[in-house]
Amino acid sequence: MKNKYLFPLILFLLAVVLPYIVPEFWVHVLTEILIMGLFAASFNMIFGYMGQLTFGHAAYYGVGAYTTGLLMVKANVPLLVCLPLSMFSAGLCAAVLGYFCVKLRGIYFAILTMAFGQLVYYIIFQWYSFTGGDNGLQGIVPPAFLGRAANPYYFFTLIVVALGMIALWIISESPFGYTMRAIRDNAERTEFIGINVQRYMHLNFIIAAMFAGLAGALWGPFNRSVAPDLCSWQHSGMPVFMTVMGGPFHFLGPLIGSAIYTMLMAFVTSFTEYWPMVSGIVIIVVVLVMPGGLLGLLGDRLPFLRKNERSAKETNG
Amino acid sequence: MDDTGNIVLQIDRLKKSFGKYKVLTDVSYSLPKGEIAAIIGPNGAGKSTFFNLITGYHLVDGGTIRFMGREITNWPRHRIARTGISRAFQVSNIYPRLTTFENVRQAILSQQRRTLNIFTPAHRLARKNTLELLELTGLLPYRDTLAGILSQGDKKKLELALALAGKPELLLLDEPTAGMSSEETHETMELVKRLNREIGLSILFTEHDISVIFGYARKLSVLYQGMVIAEGTPEEVRKNEEAQKCYLGEEV
Repeated sequence: MKNKYLFPLILFLLAVVLPYIVPEFWVHVLTEILIMGLFAASFNMIFGYMGQLTFGHAAYYGVGAYTTGLLMVKANVPLLVCLPLSMFSAGLCAAVLGYFCVKLRGIYFAILTMAFGQLVYYIIFQWYSFTGGDNGLQGIVPPAFLGRAANPYYFFTLIVVALGMIALWIISESPFGYTMRAIRDNAERTEFIGINVQRYMHLNFIIAAMFAGLAGALWGPFNRSVAPDLCSWQHSGMPVFMTVMGGPFHFLGPLIGSAIYTMLMAFVTSFTEYWPMVSGIVIIVVVLVMPGGLLGLLGDRLPFLRKNERSAKETNG
Repeated sequence: MDDTGNIVLQIDRLKKSFGKYKVLTDVSYSLPKGEIAAIIGPNGAGKSTFFNLITGYHLVDGGTIRFMGREITNWPRHRIARTGISRAFQVSNIYPRLTTFENVRQAILSQQRRTLNIFTPAHRLARKNTLELLELTGLLPYRDTLAGILSQGDKKKLELALALAGKPELLLLDEPTAGMSSEETHETMELVKRLNREIGLSILFTEHDISVIFGYARKLSVLYQGMVIAEGTPEEVRKNEEAQKCYLGEEV
């Protein structure tokens, strides 16, 4: 077996075994890690692979969450049907909003994505008759075959997230994925080899939003409810933290970052109300000590973690 | 006989200003198919701007650009590249975080219109073509090296490889040997000459190295203060008084 599959396999086996070992509270935490990990991985398609920072990615996560919530609560649509529909609605939303965002680069891209994210947030927040406004939607119950215990929904989430991550991996290793790396490295040169950069960025934006929508769709039945906060810019910051912590230049970086961040929050909030300060300190330390994230740091030391993609510090470009 | 079918690049009355500064005032130029020609002139004469206008990097203020009889004035860059004009830049313009192999493969996949493929791993595609082009440009020993840490000369070779990957009809080379050793300069220009001879590739380059200009170009145009002041074979330009006064000097 190739070395590059060893680390994901270890992680997967760990994810299968852990729920039988840890208390139920931590199974909930693990579920959240998986959902947020997929969300962060989808964000990294734009950040790590395309080289643009989006601060509005939660909008598509929220659209996915509300699509599933509304369909399940108001129309009794089965969860398995809701998942692809959530991907579709998030993708459709990204197709419209992303069209304008990809015309910009850098800080302007970040600001416009954040502005559109807030627009989605306020629409959901204000539209009481349809979305429940600031009350959100309650009573999003997982299907009966998944039961009421934490474990079955965890394993359902694990399967969906694993499939989502595999799909993202295939895309990231495809010619399209390498075109994203090319755009990140040198968008100007990419145009001169005959690629319509704006169009490709738009497509990638839509793909990333679809997987954010899928992650969002898993959240409602897990939490039994959805709220407008899922679309807020603060929520858009979470995949940023997670990706920076885990390592944006490694495919599994965002998932590892999700594990660190979510576990840290679960741990810290249990003994102090000043948890935002703790998370702030952790982020500062990570950025200062490990600019390539945890996997970036470990990748230099552990051969099986060494990535195809080298971090920026290894080149003078 | 009408020879428009034999002209690969036809430029009429091209104008470009940046604010009050007129870079190109009224440039007309034509390049026959299969020609190897150079645009020369002092720094600031407008050579790079001339290339920038042809390849869509800047928008044209006035005049027209025709490629193979088709007007391409102010087309988007990617569309111009797709029609068959490739360009190598004066300052190497590569993908520093990709390997040399991945750089060239990316350009080949684009030429093969396979970049929208999201299902097949990229490493399975265009392998043979990539290795061939790396060998042709002398970059095969550095295939797994990150492009960002290549030497300046090798970066320029990679520039050339990226341009050739597009299988162009017209190759624009902006100071292709800048930063190269004399040996690398010779190798690169011999390759350019071979491509011109063997596949009939039309080549237009800018250069400051007089030995390269007179050693390889069959047609020379002297650009000075945004205008073509002299044009012809190297011998004709060498004898042109205005060209001598403005750029070449009398010793050439």
